[in-house]
Amino acid sequence: MLTKAKNLNRNGRSLLIVFLHMFLVILMTGVFFSCQKKEEVKLLKIGLPEEPKSLNLWLGTDSNSRKILSLIYQSLYTRDPKTLEMIPWLAKEEPVFDKEKLTYTVKLRQAKWSDGSEFTSEDVLFTKKFFFDFKIPRYYSKWKIIKKLEAIDEHTIVFHLQAPSAIFLSRVLTAPMVSKKEWGQIAVEAMNAEKPLKFLQDHSIENPLGTGPFTLFEYKKGAYLHMKKNSHFFGTGKTIANHLLGPYVDSILFKIYGTSDVAILALKKGDIDMYWWDIQPGYLEDLKKDPNIEVFLNKKSALYYMGFNVRKPPFDDKALRQSIATIIDKDFILTRILQNYGTPMYSIVPSGNVFWHNPNVRRYGEGLTPEDHIKEAYKILKDAGYTWETEPVDDNGDIVEGKGLKLPSGKVMDKFVILTPPADYDPKRAFAGVMIQEWMRKIGMPVSARPMSFNSLLDTVKGKREFDAFILGYGKLNLDPDYLRPFFHSGYNKPRGWNMSGYTNPVYDKLANEQKGIVESKERKKVIWEMQQILMEDVPYIPLYNPHILEAVSTKNFKGWIEKVNGIGSIWSLCVVKPKN
Amino acid sequence: MGTRKFIFKKIIEITIIFFVILTLLFFLFRLSPGSPISKMVDPGLTLEDQVLLIEQLGLDRPAFEQYIIYLKNFFTGNLGSSFHYGEAVSSIIMAKLPWTILLFSLSTILAAYAGIVLGKISAWNKGSALDNFLSISALICHTLFIPWFALLLLWVLGFKLGWFPLGGVLSPEIWITGSSIPLKILDVLHHMFLPLMTLFFIHLGSYLLLMRSSMLGVFKEDYIITARAKGLSEKVIRNKHAAKNAALPVLTSVGLSLAFSINGGALTEQVFTWPGIGRELIFAVSNNDYPLAQACFLLIAAVVLVANLIVDLLYAYMDPRITY
Repeated sequence: MLTKAKNLNRNGRSLLIVFLHMFLVILMTGVFFSCQKKEEVKLLKIGLPEEPKSLNLWLGTDSNSRKILSLIYQSLYTRDPKTLEMIPWLAKEEPVFDKEKLTYTVKLRQAKWSDGSEFTSEDVLFTKKFFFDFKIPRYYSKWKIIKKLEAIDEHTIVFHLQAPSAIFLSRVLTAPMVSKKEWGQIAVEAMNAEKPLKFLQDHSIENPLGTGPFTLFEYKKGAYLHMKKNSHFFGTGKTIANHLLGPYVDSILFKIYGTSDVAILALKKGDIDMYWWDIQPGYLEDLKKDPNIEVFLNKKSALYYMGFNVRKPPFDDKALRQSIATIIDKDFILTRILQNYGTPMYSIVPSGNVFWHNPNVRRYGEGLTPEDHIKEAYKILKDAGYTWETEPVDDNGDIVEGKGLKLPSGKVMDKFVILTPPADYDPKRAFAGVMIQEWMRKIGMPVSARPMSFNSLLDTVKGKREFDAFILGYGKLNLDPDYLRPFFHSGYNKPRGWNMSGYTNPVYDKLANEQKGIVESKERKKVIWEMQQILMEDVPYIPLYNPHILEAVSTKNFKGWIEKVNGIGSIWSLCVVKPKN
Repeated sequence: MGTRKFIFKKIIEITIIFFVILTLLFFLFRLSPGSPISKMVDPGLTLEDQVLLIEQLGLDRPAFEQYIIYLKNFFTGNLGSSFHYGEAVSSIIMAKLPWTILLFSLSTILAAYAGIVLGKISAWNKGSALDNFLSISALICHTLFIPWFALLLLWVLGFKLGWFPLGGVLSPEIWITGSSIPLKILDVLHHMFLPLMTLFFIHLGSYLLLMRSSMLGVFKEDYIITARAKGLSEKVIRNKHAAKNAALPVLTSVGLSLAFSINGGALTEQVFTWPGIGRELIFAVSNNDYPLAQACFLLIAAVVLVANLIVDLLYAYMDPRITY
């Protein structure tokens, strides 16, 4: 044994020594760094799940780029974080609407760009020209309602509209304002390029010029993004939406974490003060035990739903869709799949959107026992002329396994598929699909849930439109309910159009067009409520659930986060969050 | 066949294979479901917006026309610009590649060196407690589940003991205060330690086992008996005669590992938030960022092909019996 031990030759020993030395040197480096790190008290550290894809406003449409850009580029109006009403932001006061002339007069604040130059009417004119010249996606389609834009003076601007527009304030005047200084020259070059928009999007922006509370100081790709307080921010020292705005931090450091596991560890360790991302409920118990962590739970403006292809049988039959809406046990989905972190949905407009949400729609299956879900669904089908080889409810009223469901025409129902995203993309939607499959089978429907990669799923449903049913969702719906129009108006029933179900209803189309032009909110609300009622009667989509957004912060150094729909991560929080001492 | 002729023939072969791969990649991506804009699930993006974006990306043209444009650009050194970043693909790759090469090459070389030395010791002491310990440890290393092991290291050494940072390549707090260059280098090394250890242990197992079995095979060779008969010392027989020959399969494995390190252990990069090619590749594929994904795959293909050629040539150098 002794001889064998001696066989650890010089190579082996030297290898061990080299490794030991390496370990010690690096370990000492760590200790040295821990002593070196002098914490700047007013440096707020935020974790992000991914790197922002681009700081070019016209390309950075992913959620992480939006987070950064939302602190730089500002709009004329924004939403009050509490009431969700539109309030002046870069604008000084409410717009003045002239019904006769179809004009909105907007007075601008005395604001400055981050380089110290004045923000004036010229910049609004430039922004409009920019949207029109390049047909900027997402903005041009809304701004084209503007017939003419007129600058009365340096701080007054008049928007002349083609027609009355309900979404003018919420969707048009919330577009980001850009400066001629930053984009003027690029725009000239882009206009001469073969593909102007692509040229614009591919332009690298090193130092975005905005009017927001923070400016970009340094961006080291793959490592961090450092923003500093904008000393020219118009909101500093002003009370807007009942908040005295700062910023009260000198700078923000954005760090990237590849997985939520590591980001949560970093939060607990104090490496970051906030993780700007929706945390999975699985982490909650652990986080709640930590005295230095505060967890925030807020409603989301989201819609997770099941859709049908109503263009073809059997889902062109309203009764069948109503029956499926009844058989779905939303309470089960809430308790078992969402672990109670969410709300069941009964209308297309989320309940958190209090003003527009219609609570009086037909609420399928609400409050029913599991047996009653089946009985009710069975009754709807039976009344509509459906028959079975073995009925799911026997003569004694007991539930048995239904078999051989036949359509009113007498034809046996063909097998069909519910497409869902895969579990690794979204376990909630995938599991909801499996549960819905089981409930539908109980009533004799030959259905299977099939997970499909997200890209393929969208391509099948939106592009090819060859499907029976699907489960999808929108994680961040705009608070203005105008989306009810593209989702269900027959004009959007085209390949790649937003009316994925292929729903067609002339009465609904008329209302959808009508609401678009109603400027008076209360009037418009009546129409929006009626639209929700029609949708829940015809059920082209079955709204399923709206998960809560869970966020966590470290309470060691900062306080004052603002809770709102869609969570604490917003420009409002970053304008008011303060160092603890 | 002379070596020069062999190299020339190999280069022709490699070029043909490379262009077959290039063509296949191009069409495979275009045949895959979805389009680069399909993931923009934003009701604010109207049908007209989608058409405009597709047109600006050049995806409205027939696939064959796109292919010709791609080939033309390829020969002028233009790999296109990423749909998502809007930057030239080549500059994205050049920014990510050094991080991947640094981490993976270093871990592969360290693991190969340690694997050869320990494998040699293990085989020489076959059946002993030391051999058992090394073999079992190697098997454990070889079968480790990377994300689990990486998270375990992060949990213990990074979180509980606080010795190492929780991912990333540097501490922004140190960099934004304008620290000196040596301090910055030490900071990067400090960040590299845990991912390096993860990859080192994962690779070590396979190299050790490979070297051990190769050594055991070599022991039975006639030239080892001859060396003993000549009265050479055990050390010389082991190091000069046995180990040198037994290391050949390990060398092949290292060559290919180095090549595949370009795509990086995407999982390791993900857990440690290491900004390398592996993470980028996965992102590009899942978001249908064709130019970036194609370029990443092409890079891997090119490196694998060239590495194969180098390994072939090294064989001839290491083993004089092999000639071309």
